Amino acid sequence: MNVLFEQAGNWLPHLWNGLKLSLGVTVASLLIGLPLGFLLSLGVISRSRAVRYGALAVVEIGRGAPSLVLLQFAYFGLPSTGLVFSSFAASVAALSWSTAAYSSEIIRAGLQSVPAGQSEAALATGMTRLDTMRFVVLPQGLRIAIPALLGFAILIFQTTSLCFAIALPELTSRAYEIGTNTFQYLPALTLAGLLYLAVCVPATLIVSWVEARAAS
Amino acid sequence: MSGEQALSTLSENMPKQPLVHVSELKKSFGSLTVLDRIDFDVAQGEVLAIIGPSGSGKSTLLRCINFLETPDEGRIRLAGVEIDAGRHPGQKQVLQLRRLAGMVFQSFNLFPHMTVLENVSLAQKRVLTRSQSEADARSMELLDRVGLSDKAREYPYRCSGGQQQRIAIARALALNPKVMLFDEPTSALDPELGLEVLSVMRELAQDGMTMIVVTHEMHFAESVSDHVMIMADGRIIEYGPSAEIMRNPQSARAQRFLHAVRDR
Amino acid sequence: MAEIAAQVLLGLPWTIAVTALALAIGLVLGMPVMLARRSRWPWLRFLTGSLITLVRSIPPIVWLFLIFFGIGSGYFKISPFAAAVVGMGLISSAYMAEIYRGALLSIHSGQMEGASALGLHPVRVWIDVVAPQLFRVALPAMATFAIGLLKDSAVSSTIGVPELTFQANAQSMATYRGMEVFSFVAAVYIALSVPVAWLSRILDRRLRAKVSR
Repeated sequence: MNVLFEQAGNWLPHLWNGLKLSLGVTVASLLIGLPLGFLLSLGVISRSRAVRYGALAVVEIGRGAPSLVLLQFAYFGLPSTGLVFSSFAASVAALSWSTAAYSSEIIRAGLQSVPAGQSEAALATGMTRLDTMRFVVLPQGLRIAIPALLGFAILIFQTTSLCFAIALPELTSRAYEIGTNTFQYLPALTLAGLLYLAVCVPATLIVSWVEARAAS
Repeated sequence: MSGEQALSTLSENMPKQPLVHVSELKKSFGSLTVLDRIDFDVAQGEVLAIIGPSGSGKSTLLRCINFLETPDEGRIRLAGVEIDAGRHPGQKQVLQLRRLAGMVFQSFNLFPHMTVLENVSLAQKRVLTRSQSEADARSMELLDRVGLSDKAREYPYRCSGGQQQRIAIARALALNPKVMLFDEPTSALDPELGLEVLSVMRELAQDGMTMIVVTHEMHFAESVSDHVMIMADGRIIEYGPSAEIMRNPQSARAQRFLHAVRDR
Repeated sequence: MAEIAAQVLLGLPWTIAVTALALAIGLVLGMPVMLARRSRWPWLRFLTGSLITLVRSIPPIVWLFLIFFGIGSGYFKISPFAAAVVGMGLISSAYMAEIYRGALLSIHSGQMEGASALGLHPVRVWIDVVAPQLFRVALPAMATFAIGLLKDSAVSSTIGVPELTFQANAQSMATYRGMEVFSFVAAVYIALSVPVAWLSRILDRRLRAKVSR
């Protein structure tokens, strides 16, 4: 482990850039995936059968296939249809899909946990279904979904490590690269692990704090 | 009050028509028939109490009147708006009907993420397109009427059950409904808190509001309502002036029911 | 395409083996970890809690790299398959401990008190009363986790375990038909998770009646 302390100073800037890229992919995937997830959650509970089945298919493929397969599909698979993505774009596309699929289930569970009496009370006053959704169900359902969505955001950050497989120079790729160049795999990967910890542990603590607050 | 004006023009235009007219109403869930050919009228200013054992269909009937449940068959006419359930009524018609009927639920169903004032103002803004200040002024008036203007800025969870139900009444009144529908409004409350809700309802009746009340409160049915309807197994088994029905029910089924609830 | 599919499916036994072994390790090791997490000694509770957080905060691929390249390349040799099973088993133990803990919290304390009041030995209380209910309550979460594990096993392709994703990758490179290859392998994963979900629903229904909450 002595190597770790000797080399940490040299490796850190390199790994730090990787971490920034990991965070960048995370943020981009959330920014694209969460609004899509919201739309999908409405699609899954839609009254139109075509919309419902279409949304369900997108959700079930996004949740059913491993993220690694989605990433490789976007990077190695789509070019054969003429769509060529950079590894960054492919990463964001695949992880946005994952985000949309999982978050739609979280949001749907939140919306459905709003008691039926709430929308009935709104409908009984003559409000439209749309207004009822917008002013009564959504504000309550989204609030219920927030802790789980935050937890999922941490998971997606960890999932960016799989972008290694499509040559995105994020944190894991860079640690691996240092390993192949120096044969110091263990210290390099340990340092990367510590950087993941530095992000995930505080984030996890914040999420459990939010959870505890939401529960009271 | 504008409500009264509207009511007087209504009664001039349609002198002999009842305010609420329900005919041939049918509803089943799967193979279970919950409502079987229900007919009744409610006149302007009348208070009708609907009583009966649980599972008799009385709540479903109330919820069919404003189409929270869609009846399978039958017609409902409410202050000039008529809907034939058998003809797949459109959203527009249903909304029109709901605007004319205020509804109060057993579980209050106040919106927990809004203040008391926002609860009462929401539909005024969204349905009647009143301005914020207009709506709030009207809400304060109504909260004052149910004795809760001091709670306007609080959130519902800070109010007792009785207070929440009175707020729900104010919320339903905010759209100047022609008729108020009450679905067991005191069933979720301690007897003491139920009394404050019943007294608000009594005042409402005295002010001439047309009301249809599904209830377990026999005293309310007897002393406040003009007519009583007893339901069992999705049918009306007894209907008439309240004093008569409560004292001398004709059918054996109704006698058994009244006997059982009075014994409690 | 049939040829490609056959090639990809060569990875199926490996995928199932990694998933099943990792799950088995988690089912067994999760129990003592959970007990340590609920220990009467605060230092042990804290230590276990920290270890669980540590294991869960580092992505699976980094764990596999640490074990395969980090430990495996230096001190002693370890096969990709063994590294994958050890790594996924480690993660699985941490998750299973939390699943057990959540299930235990939802079992009514009256159950334990009732059994203790009968004069049953604490160990017997656990074996006869608590454990059977624990598995029943934990079952839906365990099924969800098993499906998650199945998908996470794809990560072992990155250290060379010849499982489904590894084979798909090889076929994609050999045939330049990535679109079909990865669509096919995605469908295989989805098809694999369907029976697990189905089995858990049946077991859940059968066991539901036997638990008091």
